[in-house]
Amino acid sequence: MKPSTKKNSQFFIESWLTSRTAQIKSAPRIPGQDFEHSLFFVPRRTPLCDRILEDEGVFGDVTINEYPLYFIPLEPDVLSLELDDAFEDLYLHKTYTSIFNSAKALMLLQQQYGLFPRITGKGDKGKRLMDALMRMRNEAAAEDASTSMALAPSSIIDNLIIIDRETDLVTPLLTQLTYEGLIDETFGLNNSHVELEASLLGSAGQTPADSTGRSVGVPAAPQAKKRKVLLEGSDRVFSELRNVNFSAVPAILKKTALRIDADFKKKDDCKTVSEMKTYVTKVLGPAQKDRTSLSMHFNIAEVIQKHINTELFEKTLEVQQSLIAGYSSTQQHELLTELIARGASLETVLRLLCLYSCVNTGFKPKDFDLFRREILQGYGYEHVLTLAALEKVALFQSRTVAGSASTAASRTNYDYLRNRLKLFNENINESEPNDIVYVYSVYAPLSVRLVQCVIQKSEMVLAAKGEKTLGPNSAGWKGFEDVVKHVGGKTFDELQKAPQNMLTAKMILDGQNEKKVTVVFFLGGITYTEIAALRWIAQKEGERRQIIIATTGIINGNKIIHAATADAQTKPTPH
Amino acid sequence: MPASPSQPHSTPARSSDVGRRRPPLALVDVKIRPTLFGAQHIRRSCKRGAWRASPVSASARTFTDSILESTPAPPTMASGLPNPTSTWELVSGQYYRKLTLFTPSWAHEEDLNLDDYLVAGAPFGGALALWKDPRKFHTYQGVQSAKPSITICNLAGGLLRRITWDRGPIQAIGWSDDEHLLVVTADGSVRCYYDFQGNFTQFSLGSDAEEHGVVSCRFWGTGFVALLGNNAFVTVNRYDEPRPRPLALPKLPSPESKIHSWAIIPPNYSDSRHVEVIMATDQTILIVDATESQDQILQNGPFHHISVSPNGSYVALYTGDGKVWVIDVKFQQKLSEYDSGKTGEIPIDVQWCGVDSVVLVWEDEVHMVGPNGAALRWYYDNRVNLVPEMDGIRMITTEKCEFLQRVPDVTRSIFEFGSSSPPAGLLEAVGHLERKSPKADDAIQLIRPSLPEAVAACVQAAGHEFDVGWQKQLLKAASFGKSVLELYNSDDFVEMCKTLRVLNAVRYYEVGLGITMDQLERLTPDKLIERLVARQEHLLALRISDYLSLPTDKIYIHWACMKVKLSVDDEDAICKDIVEKLKNERGIAYDAIAKAAFEEGRGRLATQLLNHEPRAGRQVPLLMSMEEDEIALDKAIESTDSDLVFYVLLHLKKKLPVATFFRMINNRPVAYSLIESSARYHDTELLKDLYYQDDRKTDGANVILRESLSQENFTTRIDKLKLASKLLKDSKDHLVEASALEESIRLLTLQESLERDIFEESFVGLPLNETIFKLTRLGFYPRANKIRAEFKMPDKRFWWIKLRGLVAKREWAEIEEWSKSKSSPIGWEPFFNECLSAGNTKVAAIFIPKCKNLNHTERINMWVQCGMIVKAGEEAVTARDYHALEALLPKATGAAVPEIQRMMQKLRPSK
Repeated sequence: MKPSTKKNSQFFIESWLTSRTAQIKSAPRIPGQDFEHSLFFVPRRTPLCDRILEDEGVFGDVTINEYPLYFIPLEPDVLSLELDDAFEDLYLHKTYTSIFNSAKALMLLQQQYGLFPRITGKGDKGKRLMDALMRMRNEAAAEDASTSMALAPSSIIDNLIIIDRETDLVTPLLTQLTYEGLIDETFGLNNSHVELEASLLGSAGQTPADSTGRSVGVPAAPQAKKRKVLLEGSDRVFSELRNVNFSAVPAILKKTALRIDADFKKKDDCKTVSEMKTYVTKVLGPAQKDRTSLSMHFNIAEVIQKHINTELFEKTLEVQQSLIAGYSSTQQHELLTELIARGASLETVLRLLCLYSCVNTGFKPKDFDLFRREILQGYGYEHVLTLAALEKVALFQSRTVAGSASTAASRTNYDYLRNRLKLFNENINESEPNDIVYVYSVYAPLSVRLVQCVIQKSEMVLAAKGEKTLGPNSAGWKGFEDVVKHVGGKTFDELQKAPQNMLTAKMILDGQNEKKVTVVFFLGGITYTEIAALRWIAQKEGERRQIIIATTGIINGNKIIHAATADAQTKPTPH
Repeated sequence: MPASPSQPHSTPARSSDVGRRRPPLALVDVKIRPTLFGAQHIRRSCKRGAWRASPVSASARTFTDSILESTPAPPTMASGLPNPTSTWELVSGQYYRKLTLFTPSWAHEEDLNLDDYLVAGAPFGGALALWKDPRKFHTYQGVQSAKPSITICNLAGGLLRRITWDRGPIQAIGWSDDEHLLVVTADGSVRCYYDFQGNFTQFSLGSDAEEHGVVSCRFWGTGFVALLGNNAFVTVNRYDEPRPRPLALPKLPSPESKIHSWAIIPPNYSDSRHVEVIMATDQTILIVDATESQDQILQNGPFHHISVSPNGSYVALYTGDGKVWVIDVKFQQKLSEYDSGKTGEIPIDVQWCGVDSVVLVWEDEVHMVGPNGAALRWYYDNRVNLVPEMDGIRMITTEKCEFLQRVPDVTRSIFEFGSSSPPAGLLEAVGHLERKSPKADDAIQLIRPSLPEAVAACVQAAGHEFDVGWQKQLLKAASFGKSVLELYNSDDFVEMCKTLRVLNAVRYYEVGLGITMDQLERLTPDKLIERLVARQEHLLALRISDYLSLPTDKIYIHWACMKVKLSVDDEDAICKDIVEKLKNERGIAYDAIAKAAFEEGRGRLATQLLNHEPRAGRQVPLLMSMEEDEIALDKAIESTDSDLVFYVLLHLKKKLPVATFFRMINNRPVAYSLIESSARYHDTELLKDLYYQDDRKTDGANVILRESLSQENFTTRIDKLKLASKLLKDSKDHLVEASALEESIRLLTLQESLERDIFEESFVGLPLNETIFKLTRLGFYPRANKIRAEFKMPDKRFWWIKLRGLVAKREWAEIEEWSKSKSSPIGWEPFFNECLSAGNTKVAAIFIPKCKNLNHTERINMWVQCGMIVKAGEEAVTARDYHALEALLPKATGAAVPEIQRMMQKLRPSK
C-alpha cells in the first residue's frame, strides 16, 4: 500500500482483526488533505473497524466501504479463503477469527445450493466450525422468510466433510513430492503465483505468464530479475503435470514435447486455404502457448531436479520416510544432528523435529533437551520463542507432556493408524499410481484417508482387511468409528434435516442430480499434495461423485514453521 | 391476532405538537370514499377484522372480477365520466394537462395563507415542509406561534409533524429521495430528520461554513451542495455518513463579481459522476466540479435563474431582459428561446416540467414554455410554489395541489379529439358493449389486426389516469379486447391492476401521496412502503406488502418501536403485546425494538425484549450501551464473531480498572486469546501485567525476550535477556531455555568484543554455529577453538563447522594438514564430499583411502567422481572385482585405457 498520486486513492483492508490495525493506521496517514481516500474493508465492515478509525482520528477523512470477498475460486474444484494467517489464528493465538469467516463463507454456499445434508468431520476446531455453522443457519432461518426455501437440504450437495488441520499435522510437515508440491517447496507458491527468475521463463522473452496483464514485475537488481507467474489449470501443460509424482514428470514433459511437435507438423497436412485457417486458429495458437509454457516447465523441472539431487535433500527425505515408516530412531538422531551441524535451513530441521515429535508422541526428555540446545546454538537463542510457539501448537513436545493423559484425546496415534489405514506403502508405481500414496511416494496423507473413510468406504475396507462389509448406504463415520477414535480431536457427524414437503419441493426445483457433490473443507489449510490426492480420488469416483475442495488457504510445512518463527524474527524498529 | 380496532395503531400523536388531534392512525375506522375504490377495497378487508387478511388472489380473472364487482358499473359509465381532455391544453403540437391532485385542508390553521410560507416538497409526491418566510411580515398570533416552527404535511394538507425550531436562522430546507428532511442553518449546521417523529441526526459543514455562513443550498436525491458566504461550494454526498467536501473554488471574473444564481447537476447525470455546479456570474456561466472551475464564456448575462432538466441534459437560463433560453448542458447549442415580455420583474422560480418544458412563476402568474418557445399562461390568486418531479411538476397554492405534465402518448392517442387509433376504437367498442349496442362487434372487427397493441395501450393508459372511473373504463376496454384475442399474456394486465390498487390506496386523501405510475416505478414499491411506515400507516403498509409479496419484517419492527415509545401501558403488558403479535413473524429484529425501548428510558422492557432476539451478535451493541458488560461479552463470544468480541473488549478495557478487566477475561478463553494476541503487538505492558497476574512466568519471559530482540541499545538488550532468563529459571520447567539465555548473554558479549577486534565484520546476533563458521572462514582458528571450548560444543558439530568453514575459505593446505590427524569423529566421507562439491578433486581424492568403513564399490565410485579411473581400477584389483573393471573401461580415456586393460588381463586368469 503506497500513497498514490491520484486524486482518488483506494485501500483494500482486511478487517479480520487486530494485526490489521497497524495497516489501518498507516493507510490514512498520507499527507495532504486534497486526496480523497476510500477504504474497502475485506470481507466486511464491523463496528470494530469504525472504532479503530475513530480512535486514530481519521474516521471523518475517509470514505468507507466493504468488499465481501470470501471464497476465491483458485481452480474449478478449489475454493480458498486465502487467509494467510489462518494457521496462527487457529492453533497458535487461538483467536478463531478464521472459524467465523469460514462459517460465513460456507453459509454463502448453503444459501446458494441449500444446506449440506450431512456434516461429518474431525477435530476440535472443526467442531467449533460446525457449531458456528449451525448457529448461523438458525440465525439465518430467523432472519428472513425469503431465505427459508434456500435453507432446505441441498439436492446437489451430498455432504460436507470438515478436516481440522490439527488432526493431521504430519502431512504438511513432509516434503511434498508432486510437481506442484515441489514447486511450492522449492520456490514457494502464493495465491497460485510463483516468483521465478526471468531467465527461467522460457525462450519466448515476453511472459505469457501473468494473464491479468498487470505489471507485477518486481523492480530488483537487474541480474536477478524476478517475475510473478500464475500457475493454474488453464495452462494445458501444467494441468497435466501438477498432480503427478515428480519422478513421472520427465516422461510427461517428453510426451508433451512430442505432442506439440506433432501439432506443429500438422500444417503439412493442410491442403486448402480453409484447412490452413482452421489449423492456424485451432491448432497453432494453443500449440504456441503450450510451447512457451513447456519450455518454462522444463526449466522449472531442471531446477527442482538439481535441488532434489543434493545430499541434504536426500538425507532429509531419508529421515522423513523412516520416521513415517516407524523405524527405530537412533539413526535419525544422528542424521538430525548432522543436518544441524551442516547448516541445513531452520525450516528443514524444524520440520523434521516436529515430524519426529508428532509421530513418536514427543521426544524423550533427554533428547528434548539435546535438540533444544542444538537448535538454540545452531540458529540463535531467540528461537526460544520459536520453540515455545511450536510447543503451544503441540508440534514439538517432550514425551512427558505429549504422552500425558490430558492430551491423549487430542493426539493422533500414528502407530495405530499406520496399519489400519495403510498410511505407509513402499510398493507403488509412481507413474501409474493405484493409491494416493504416490503423492509422498511412500505415504498416504491421513487427512485424505479420513475423507476416504467417509466417501470410499468399500475401498477402505479392502485396505484394512478383516473388516465386515458395509452396506452401500452407510454414511458418516460408520464402520470406522474405532479408527477415528485414534485420530486427535472431537468427532462429529450431524444431519441437517427439513420437513419432507420442503425437501421434495427443493428436489423438483433443482432437479435430481445423479452425480453427488462432496465438499471437503480443510480448516487451517491444505497442501498441494492433498489436493492432488483428492483429485485422484475424484477421478476414480468418476461419474458417481464430484469433490469440491474448500479451505482457509494453501499451506505447507515451511509456512507452519514461519508462523512459529515470526516472533523470533522481531527486529529493532528503526527510529 | 385480535381485531380490536384500537390495535395496533392506537398510539396517539404526541400532544405537544398537535393543534388538532390527528385521527387515529388506523385506517380501520375511516369513512370510505366511494370513488377511491382501490383504497376502499383494501380497507374493507381490514374492516372485516383479521389483521392479516387472506391474500388477494393474483389471478387476472378473479382480480378483474373483484374490481368490477366492487362497484357495479352503471350502464352509461363512459358518458358519466368527465371528459379527460377538459384539462388538456395545446402548446406547439403537444398537449399538457393540469390535474388537481388534492384540495389541501389547511384546516388545522384557520387563516393559513401559503403566501407567507416557504414550501419545500419531497420528490415522488412526498411530503411538504412549510416554514414562515423570514423576509415577510406576519401578523402577531400570540406567544405560542411566535416560536419558529417547520410544518410537515402531506399533499392533502394533513399534518404529519410540526417541528419546533430552536436553532439559528434557517437558510435552506430540502428533501432526500428517502423523504428525509434536511434543514440547513446559516452557520452551516445540518439536521437530517429521518422520520416524522422529530428525530434527527446533525452534522456540520465545517469551519468555512461556520465562518462565512451558508447562503443557499441545492438538493438532489442523496445529497446537496451549499453555497457559502465566501463564494465557495461545499457538497455532501450521503446522509448516513455525511462527509462535507469542498468543490473547487469558482474562478470569478473579478473579486467583486456576484453570483446571480446557481444550480447543480446531480452525480448520476454528470459526466464526471460527481456533482457539478452551474453558476451565473457577471455576464457568463461557470461550471464547477470537485477539481476545477470552467468558464463557459457567455456574454448575455446576467442570468437570474438557472435550472437543470430532470435528466441532466438541458439547462434553462433566465436572462436579464426577460428571456428564457434552453441550452444543452454542454453549452454548445441553444435549443429554444422564449420572451416572457416581463423585463422588469424577475420570476421567483424557474423549474422544469418533465424534460421538455420550463415553468416560470411570478408570484401569481405562471408561464409554461413548451419545446419550441411557445407558452401557456395561467393566473392565480396566490403565490404558486413549484415542486419539480421526474415526469412533471407539482404546483402548490393555498387552494390546491396541482400536477402539470405532458399528456402521455398513449393517453393522447386514446382521448385526443377525433382519434381513430386502435385503442381509441377499443374504448369506443366497450362503450357500445355497455349500451348493449351491436356496433360493439363492428368496432372491434375494425381494429382486429392491431388489437394486441390496443389492449396494451389501454392497460398503459389506465396507469396514467388519476380518475378511478377512467382507470376502470380503460381496464374494462383492455379486458374486453383480450377476451376477443385467442392468445394473450395477462401478466401486464394483472400487474397494472395491482399497481393501480396500490396507487389509488396511497392517493387517498388521508395518506396524501400524489405519486404517478412512472414515479412509483422509479421509487420502487419497497421505498413506498418505507414512506407509508414513516407516516405510521402500518396497516396499509402491511396490506400492500402482503399484496405485493414484499418483506414485512420492517413494518412490524417499526410498529413495535412506535408502540414502545408511545404506549402508556405498563411494561409487561407492552412486552406481552408485542411478543404475542410478532411471534409468528420471521426476521423480527428484537434488538431494534429493545433499543427503542432503552432510548425511551424503559430499561427493563429493553432487557425483556432483547431476550427474544435469537441472534446473539445483534444483542451486543445494545447490551453495551445498557452497561450490561458481562452479558454483552458473553453474547459476543456466543456469536463466534471475534471482531465483535474484540469490539466489546476494547470498550471494556477503556472503561474498567485493569484488575477487573483481567478478572473478566480470565475465565473466557477466546477473550483471553484475543487480548493476548492483540497486546502482543500493541501493548506489551498490558501483556506483562496479564502474565504477572496469572503467574505465567514463561510467557512473561518470552515477552521480555521479544523486547530485547527489538532493542538496539546493547546494554538494554543484555539487561532484558538477564531478566528473561531469571524469570525462566523461576518457572523451573524451562531450565534449558534459561541456561540458553545465559549462554546467549555470554555469546553476545563475546561477539561484541570480536567486533571491536576484527573490523568491518559483524558478529553480534549470529548463532553460535555461525560465529565459529565465520571465524574459521576468516582464518581466526585459535579464536574459533577457544569459543568452541568455552561453549562445550560437541566434537562432531565442531568438525563439521570447521570443515565447511575451511572449504568456504578454500584453504586446502589447512584441510590437508588437518587430514593427517588420526581419526575423525564424523568420518572422512564428509571431507571427500565437501571438497568434491567445492570442485577440488585433488584434495577430495586424499580422503578416499581414509574411508575404510566403505566397501570397495563405493570407493571405486568415489575415485571415478574424482576422475581418477586408474585409481578406481586399482581399488577393483585389490577387491578382485573383474566386473567393476569392465564397467570402468568405457569411462577411461587416454593412458588410462591400456592401464585398465592391463589390470583386466591380470585378473582374468584367476576367474
